[in-house]
Amino acid sequence: MRNAEFVGAKTGMNRIAVYLILLLSFFLLGADKSGPDRGEQAALKAERRSLHARIERLQREQDYLLFQKMMYENDSKYLILDIKKKTGHLKYKNRVLKDFRFQTSKNFPGRSLRPGMLTLTEKIEGKKDRHALVFEKSFVVRWKRSAVPREKANIPSLSLARKDLLSVYFAVEDGALAYVIR
Amino acid sequence: MRNKKRKIQFWVAAGISMVLSCILLSLSSSWAGANRAAPSTEELHADIQTLKQEAARFEEENRGLRRILADQEDGELYVVVDTESNRLTLRQGDTIVHTAACGTGSHQFIEAETGTNWFFETPIGSFTVLGKERNPVWIRPDWSYVEENMPVPLLRDPDRLVRGVLGKYALLLGNGYKIHGTKWTKLLGTHFTHGCVSLGDDDLEIVYKSVKIGTKVYLF
Repeated sequence: MRNAEFVGAKTGMNRIAVYLILLLSFFLLGADKSGPDRGEQAALKAERRSLHARIERLQREQDYLLFQKMMYENDSKYLILDIKKKTGHLKYKNRVLKDFRFQTSKNFPGRSLRPGMLTLTEKIEGKKDRHALVFEKSFVVRWKRSAVPREKANIPSLSLARKDLLSVYFAVEDGALAYVIR
Repeated sequence: MRNKKRKIQFWVAAGISMVLSCILLSLSSSWAGANRAAPSTEELHADIQTLKQEAARFEEENRGLRRILADQEDGELYVVVDTESNRLTLRQGDTIVHTAACGTGSHQFIEAETGTNWFFETPIGSFTVLGKERNPVWIRPDWSYVEENMPVPLLRDPDRLVRGVLGKYALLLGNGYKIHGTKWTKLLGTHFTHGCVSLGDDDLEIVYKSVKIGTKVYLF
């Protein structure tokens, strides 16, 4: 009797062992790549990633160069805004008319604002020189006391010195272009 | 009794092994699946080749664009007048060569008894230095007499010729507009002129000696 029980238990253990071996073999089916091959693949993937990044950088550079080329042939003044350096230039064709500095508001999307072209959609003429320039829904160019309507109060802003803002405000027209770089 | 207990132990062990097997099976299949979705080494090589070609094309195009833009950089000096800030800047490319406070149009309006009127505004736009004068003579225009409630003399009246009021130099921009000197130096940096751009003596000399006929002047 005891012998039979022992044999029965042993058979059960054997079955479990068979199950585990079968499962291990299934698991190992997926591991068909050898170590050195995986190393090469990782290196190739890294190279591909760096190429993608390089192409993206070159595309951005080309976009800016094409913008400059377009503006050199155009007859309107435009702005170049360097968000990282917090400097701006008012330009006409290939000539710099004015350099200025600015501060960004706390809610300014430092990282998420993509480099590229924006259009001046509205010139707000405030009382006592409190003017402002609205560039789409991206940001407002103003001086700290500019009269910005309540519905635009939450739009991120670039603050210029009063004199600089007035020069820029009167120099550009509705539809003027700005290019954001970083 | 003991037999029953062992049977229970056996089925519990079998159940645990089944659960474990399910987990391992799903893990192994997902790992195998992931390996199947990943590109082969050959595919990666092909991808990289294509990307290298694309990068090379961008680099070539950007080189061309930079050359086109560089061809338009003449390296010439040019003058910029900010009529809002009343500041004149002499520039070469992106470099500021000299900057100075200046005077621009007062935005005042006067009207003669005859109905003729004048608005003293500095014009905006691109101009060219058309001439350079030393010791310029001011030919008093009609508004100058109207402004001082004086009778307007004939056009060729010698009374109209006034020496010394425009400083030592003048740059002619056309239509009577000039960049010249002033005796009202305390007003530099404000809107006080009748439309011309006025400068202090030292700044005027620097600008006069730097520019030549044909130099571009941008008033904005």
